[in-house]
Amino acid sequence: MSDEIFAAAIEAIEKGDAEKAAEIVRLGLDRGIDGMELLNKGFVPGINKVGDLFGEGRLFLPELMMSATAMQKVTDLLNAGFPEGKMKTRGKVLLGTVEGDLHDIGKTIVAALFKANGFEVLDLGRDVSVKRFIEEAENFGADIIGTSALLTTTMTVQKELQEELKRSGLKDKYKTMVGGAPVTRRWADRIGADAYAEDAGEGVRKALELLKK
Amino acid sequence: MMYGHKYALLSKKQKKKQKNKSFVGVQGAVFQKSPLAAGGNNMSDKIFIRMGDGERVKLSTAEIKEDISVGTMDAARRGRIPEMTPEEQEQLFEILADPARVVGVSPGEEVIVTDDGCSMSFYSGQDGGGVGIPMSRLQAILTYERACGADTTSMGHSDYSYKPVKPIINFEMNEYYTCSMMTTVPFFYGAQPNMGLYFQPDGPCPDPAELLLTGKIKEARQSQEEACAHLRKDLVFVGKKLAGVGCEGLNFDTCGSAGDADFLAALLALRELRREIPQMPVIMGSSGEFVIGMHGEVTFDGQRLAGMYPHEQVKVVEAAGAGIYGMAVNTNTGKSTAWNLSRAVTFCKAAVEAAQIPVHVNVGMGVGGVPMMEQPPIDSVSRVSKSLVQIGKADGL
Repeated sequence: MSDEIFAAAIEAIEKGDAEKAAEIVRLGLDRGIDGMELLNKGFVPGINKVGDLFGEGRLFLPELMMSATAMQKVTDLLNAGFPEGKMKTRGKVLLGTVEGDLHDIGKTIVAALFKANGFEVLDLGRDVSVKRFIEEAENFGADIIGTSALLTTTMTVQKELQEELKRSGLKDKYKTMVGGAPVTRRWADRIGADAYAEDAGEGVRKALELLKK
Repeated sequence: MMYGHKYALLSKKQKKKQKNKSFVGVQGAVFQKSPLAAGGNNMSDKIFIRMGDGERVKLSTAEIKEDISVGTMDAARRGRIPEMTPEEQEQLFEILADPARVVGVSPGEEVIVTDDGCSMSFYSGQDGGGVGIPMSRLQAILTYERACGADTTSMGHSDYSYKPVKPIINFEMNEYYTCSMMTTVPFFYGAQPNMGLYFQPDGPCPDPAELLLTGKIKEARQSQEEACAHLRKDLVFVGKKLAGVGCEGLNFDTCGSAGDADFLAALLALRELRREIPQMPVIMGSSGEFVIGMHGEVTFDGQRLAGMYPHEQVKVVEAAGAGIYGMAVNTNTGKSTAWNLSRAVTFCKAAVEAAQIPVHVNVGMGVGGVPMMEQPPIDSVSRVSKSLVQIGKADGL
């Protein structure tokens, strides 16, 4: 019976059906399935499947957003049922495309997948200055600052952020992640970023690894 | 022993190390291995190769063959197309393992190289992928044509998008006309559709990326449809104006960079231009191995564009009236050239087999298996080019 519930959870997330997902949460809890088990065996595999399909061009951004919304509803419902503190957000992630760069499609996909995977995300949009990244990170209480750059001419702002974090004594307070078409792992190493991700899916995995450290 | 008494004084460890640097010839003479061979650029030893970010690494034969195998399987699975045959995989391995720094196709197998903003590389700065020589557009175009022996050449606005060309079209027409009076090879006008420029704050339409994040999917789709209409109109406008000064061809470069509606705008404009100005050919290049579904539902001739892989893209590009399809496959910077190139060749083969028009593969930085570097290294570029032509059967690059 549990397997059927888990399969239905996967399907609801894949279809981006928030109402159905909520119904499955209630059904699963009524039948005595542990909330965490419901999440880990049903909904999380569902959102992982969505991520994979998106990466292969078999599922598209609007559907990804619908799945992320359904996942958000699931986590809200389950969260309400847990004793305080048992189920927390997986981390706070501040995202933005760096100053001078107006490309935000990739960063939007990253934001969607992070949200879908239970992170609390603050997306600052595009053309974000180093100063604003730091101010917003402080206000938001971010764990991770993720920056995107599509151009070779703007990726240098990612380096400026690292330098500014060091100058202001905040380097150890935040984990930093970088991404974007011209950005590579070697660039991340060179400027002192904590992680580089090739795509949104890898971004989620790297973020989880960073927060375990 | 060639090292005489000095060899006798070495420790066991040093002797072993020394032996690895030498070998015995057929008549018993002992020779030093060349630094290249000793370093591993030997078919039986480690082979010099690059990662997708350009890093120089040495991999074993088995590792490279494994990457080729996994790469072609990945492309086949994603595109639902055939993998490379074992013979083709072996051929690819031989090209990658060739000890020469630069490789090339055999005489008679050469293909056309279409220009993709090459002349801009002369005068743009290093951060723009250029070499920063102080020269005009005309000088750069003629240098590329005459000194570099270009098959085709082109000019474009330095922003390299069609939208900024619209308000300065008269200047571009004059410049194009002047240059075209001096060039001999086919001379194109090239830029990217770049639908992103039609979204706020740069354009009139609400930013779909922001709308999607707040769950406004319908509004995000509407915004993209509006932007698509603006873009189509501008592409046709610029095309017609340039045709008025005898434009020899247009290049719609990197179509679909802002998603499927961007790709649709280029297809619609292409069809309209070809219908009204049939004598002006258009090259249409893509921006990745599949069309990103930012909208997800737009269609062309009844076919959904989102998720189309190269062998499917080429059919709609062909139907819209393009003269050449420019295929693009993204390079993964964390994987080896063997993995990346294996994928690119697999996609290329399928696209060429499906196509009725020539397929020219993008081999610039970060595409087609070329590492993501501002100045792509010649060892990689030449291997990528040879493999795509000989195994992928690309009609051009």
